[in-house]
Amino acid sequence: MKGLVKILFVTALLASFPILGFSQCKGFTKKTCLPILEPYLYNGQLNSAVLSEGDVAELLLTFYGGQEYRVLVCSQDLIGKVEFKLLDTDRNEIFYNKEHDYTTNWDFNANSTQQLIIQVLVPQGETKTDIANSGCVSIVVGFKEKYD
Amino acid sequence: MFIRLIIILIFLIPLAFYSCNNSKNSNTDINDDNDSTLNVGYQDHVQKVKKIFYNIPSPIEMASLMQRAGAEYDPSILNRIESFEKYNTNSKMALNLGVYGANLSYTRMFDQIQESVNYLSVIRKLSEGLGIPQQPGTFAVSRIEQNIENRDSLLYIITDIYASADTYLKESNRGSTAALIILGGWVEALYIATSIIDYNDPSKEIMERIAEQKYSLTNLIELLKGYDNDEIIALYMPLLEKLNTTFDKIEIITTKAEIITDSVKKVTSISNQNKINVAIENIKELKTIVTELRKELIK
Repeated sequence: MKGLVKILFVTALLASFPILGFSQCKGFTKKTCLPILEPYLYNGQLNSAVLSEGDVAELLLTFYGGQEYRVLVCSQDLIGKVEFKLLDTDRNEIFYNKEHDYTTNWDFNANSTQQLIIQVLVPQGETKTDIANSGCVSIVVGFKEKYD
Repeated sequence: MFIRLIIILIFLIPLAFYSCNNSKNSNTDINDDNDSTLNVGYQDHVQKVKKIFYNIPSPIEMASLMQRAGAEYDPSILNRIESFEKYNTNSKMALNLGVYGANLSYTRMFDQIQESVNYLSVIRKLSEGLGIPQQPGTFAVSRIEQNIENRDSLLYIITDIYASADTYLKESNRGSTAALIILGGWVEALYIATSIIDYNDPSKEIMERIAEQKYSLTNLIELLKGYDNDEIIALYMPLLEKLNTTFDKIEIITTKAEIITDSVKKVTSISNQNKINVAIENIKELKTIVTELRKELIK
């Protein structure tokens, strides 16, 4: 009986991981990321997930010609410096934050409307541990309206 | 010991259901993406990508583009304020929260102050109906009155409302409701754009802005595929696919050009040029389909 209880306890613990992950992200974007977006207007769509070392996440979005955009990738400190790239749909690199001291935000503007991909990568830590660090990562996009 | 076992099981069962439900509600599971219409070469790195998000430009962006393109204000095309009373299911409330949001963006862009206040009022009621908690002061009459003359402040109020709704719904495991708001907003914005164009003397710029919505529709369809078990979303997919087929007749050829990055200003400029082959017949066809779709959303 003791063994059964042990198994059930471990199963319950494992089953609770999604909830723990979910809680990890709750409120994170609003509190930590949105203030950095100003004076750009948040596009209003939440893109956050719990990522671990080596994980990649992507955001597909349309950049309208003539508008200005700010991309912000914000993450919890425990996963270290997060890399992000802006790619076109042929996966050509347009921008890589690693070449700019791992900046967390960058502004973009385009002459013409196009589909672009924001790719986020959580690098592997230098020291290998049994449990990979994981944390909340949010990709936030803001735009600036232009008046003629 | 038996009681302890029962307690553990009571704890375990809801967790198991939560886990299943949560995975279905993620924007798009990478394993479901093999039939992606995006053709962006995901197969090569499909194993590495843990999560794919799809964003749709907000109705504010679309309204702004229309206004800059020289469109005129026509209140007769908007969804009537009084109609909100008939939206009494969660899905209808969510869809029309999006629809009214697009209406508000349109009235705000054309400085229609009283109309904007009226739309804000129904948006508040629909948000309450969906159980979305209001941030203190968001809908406060004093805040709106103080800011109503200021186009930018009103823009921040609109953004606040929709950002809070999206965040709350996604964090409460109600991602499909958030997706319905986005669907309603996008459809209404396209409906407005295809309704205000002068079909006898069409503006090339407005036609091109409409044509560019083919990109957003691709993203919208991918976003909605993440909720393919939702029967309400499934209901609208055939019309969205039909719209997509019509958009496919419009050709956008992109000529790649220089990319300039300014490290001091922290800005990258992409100078690509698009050649858009769109005919007024394409826009008419889009209007017919989007009108049919919109009729379903607002009835």
